[in-house]
Amino acid sequence: MNCFKTLVNGIVKENPTFVLLLGMCPTLATTSSALNGMGMGVATMFVLICSNVFISLLKNVIPDGVRIPCYIVVIASFVTILQMLMQAYVPSLYQTLGIFIPLIVVNCIILGRAEAFAAKNNVLQSLCDGIGIGLGFTIALTLLGMVRELLGKGAFFGHQVLPESMNMLVFVLAPGAFITLGLLIALVNSIKNRKAE
Amino acid sequence: MKKLESNLKNMAVVLTVISVVAAGLLAWVNGVTKTAIDRINEQTVADGIKSVTIGDSDVEFTVAAPQEKNGFIFHKVSDAAGNTIGTAVESTDHNGFGGDLKVMVGFGPEGEILGYKVLQHSETPGLGAQADDWFRQASTDQAAQSGFASFLLGAPAKAGNHNIIGMNPGDDMLTVSKDGGEVDAITASTITSKAFLRAVNAAYKELFGYTAADGVSGASSQN
Amino acid sequence: MAYFLIFISAIFVNNIVLSQFLGICPFLGVSKKVSTAAGMGIAVTFVLTVAVIVTYALQHWVLDPLGLGYLQTILFILVIAGLVQMLETILKKVSPSLYQALGIFLPLITTNCCILGVSILVANGTYNAQGLEPTLLVGVLYAFSTAIGFALALIIFAGIRQQLATVRIPKGMQGMAIALITAGLLAMAFMGFSGVDHGIATLAGI
Repeated sequence: MNCFKTLVNGIVKENPTFVLLLGMCPTLATTSSALNGMGMGVATMFVLICSNVFISLLKNVIPDGVRIPCYIVVIASFVTILQMLMQAYVPSLYQTLGIFIPLIVVNCIILGRAEAFAAKNNVLQSLCDGIGIGLGFTIALTLLGMVRELLGKGAFFGHQVLPESMNMLVFVLAPGAFITLGLLIALVNSIKNRKAE
Repeated sequence: MKKLESNLKNMAVVLTVISVVAAGLLAWVNGVTKTAIDRINEQTVADGIKSVTIGDSDVEFTVAAPQEKNGFIFHKVSDAAGNTIGTAVESTDHNGFGGDLKVMVGFGPEGEILGYKVLQHSETPGLGAQADDWFRQASTDQAAQSGFASFLLGAPAKAGNHNIIGMNPGDDMLTVSKDGGEVDAITASTITSKAFLRAVNAAYKELFGYTAADGVSGASSQN
Repeated sequence: MAYFLIFISAIFVNNIVLSQFLGICPFLGVSKKVSTAAGMGIAVTFVLTVAVIVTYALQHWVLDPLGLGYLQTILFILVIAGLVQMLETILKKVSPSLYQALGIFLPLITTNCCILGVSILVANGTYNAQGLEPTLLVGVLYAFSTAIGFALALIIFAGIRQQLATVRIPKGMQGMAIALITAGLLAMAFMGFSGVDHGIATLAGI
């Protein structure tokens, strides 16, 4: 029950993209299509779950003074493992996401959760938190990718649904990323405001 | 279990142990995945050669050992009887949108383009990357704008061509229409399109010695 | 001439923040005032240039000869973290006034993805070197220009946000939402530079 709460908390109340506003670089860069966004989300979730679990396991062995370097080593190891696995088994996604795979290391979400959650809670809780936050991130990225792909390329998960002449290309390009995310956050904010009233 | 104290000895030991374990783990995973990565890379090249020369047909074929010359890599493809089907050329253009654009192009014995494949690019994700399909499709505008869409938008069907399959860089002007060529650039990705066509022309030139675009590009660079 | 092209292209055409999406966190986080934005810009320029030299050396003289390419990510991030720490200590001793100005930004830089990102791009040689061989010199020039581009985008953005603070904004749009849309418009303005580099290249006959 408690785990379920943590999970939902990660997806809704502490959604890393729409509420905490963390990890903006991959959010903006890799969401030119729904599938790319989803791929990035799942990749980040993998690293987040692994690092959360391991840091929670090791939290008593790591002295406070070298806390951050140790976390970074753990996170970077999982990122490298992910990098090698993706290169071997999903090479096309690996190529599309490119530099943003090694950059998962500096995604503030992961170090942030390690510091704020995994270092203080037990393994099971940390696992749930990793899954929750990871899912929240994946859902946000997929949603953003879906909107940009539909408006920019007239496609839904790669299937053409609108004719080429109705495409607003700017949404696939850099400005569209900023504007779409801005509007989605505004939408979330106004829903929250309405609820509060 | 109590938290370890932050004295120098503890800190040094823990950080070292974690780093060593991490490095060991990575070395092991690297060993496991390396063969898979190598196999996939080989497979990509082999698939590429097949798809740009003989396409989907089930003809028996052999690929000669790759030859490297001036930065191009040639794979000669012959059928079972030993007749040349075509040559797959790996060609790189260094002035794509974000750096290198690497393509593999298949040429028939007469120099006609049999197929192509984008091997590596650093273009805007989802945009420059369209090159994968763009240059083998007939203009989709015509298809899309017939019927409901043209009724809705009232726009006349645009007659353009961006299908390069079957064209011959020796006879056809394989440059973007803006430069007086015969190929429509990818919408909003002129730089990528130009880099792509340059790579194709360069491959042809290395193979046959000249291209139709030669004269014009020489003239335009004097402007 | 190609060097000049790298400079222009990295600052305007392929701006690291507005078209490559690296370093968004500090771009959104420390852009409320022009003075802090300028401080952050200078700190990033400094760290990025030094980091690229160190990581390039490590990649080409340690990792590649030993066949340890897979340790790249882990080693680079540790080196960058250490480097930032070291710079902080040195600055504190050598120039207290400079430390006063930049000190608070230094810890934030470790997790600035544009430092690790550009270090990896330069070490792997997968950036747009305008046809030049991706040597250390070219890499450092690219990194420096990139950082200038980062600083420029950050300062312009901070200027706009300072103005924005005096305007009435609908409730839901306040805060990050309006900042992101502003950034989108700025990115659109920077798109106007696309093609400039190829124009210069043609003029110079490269």
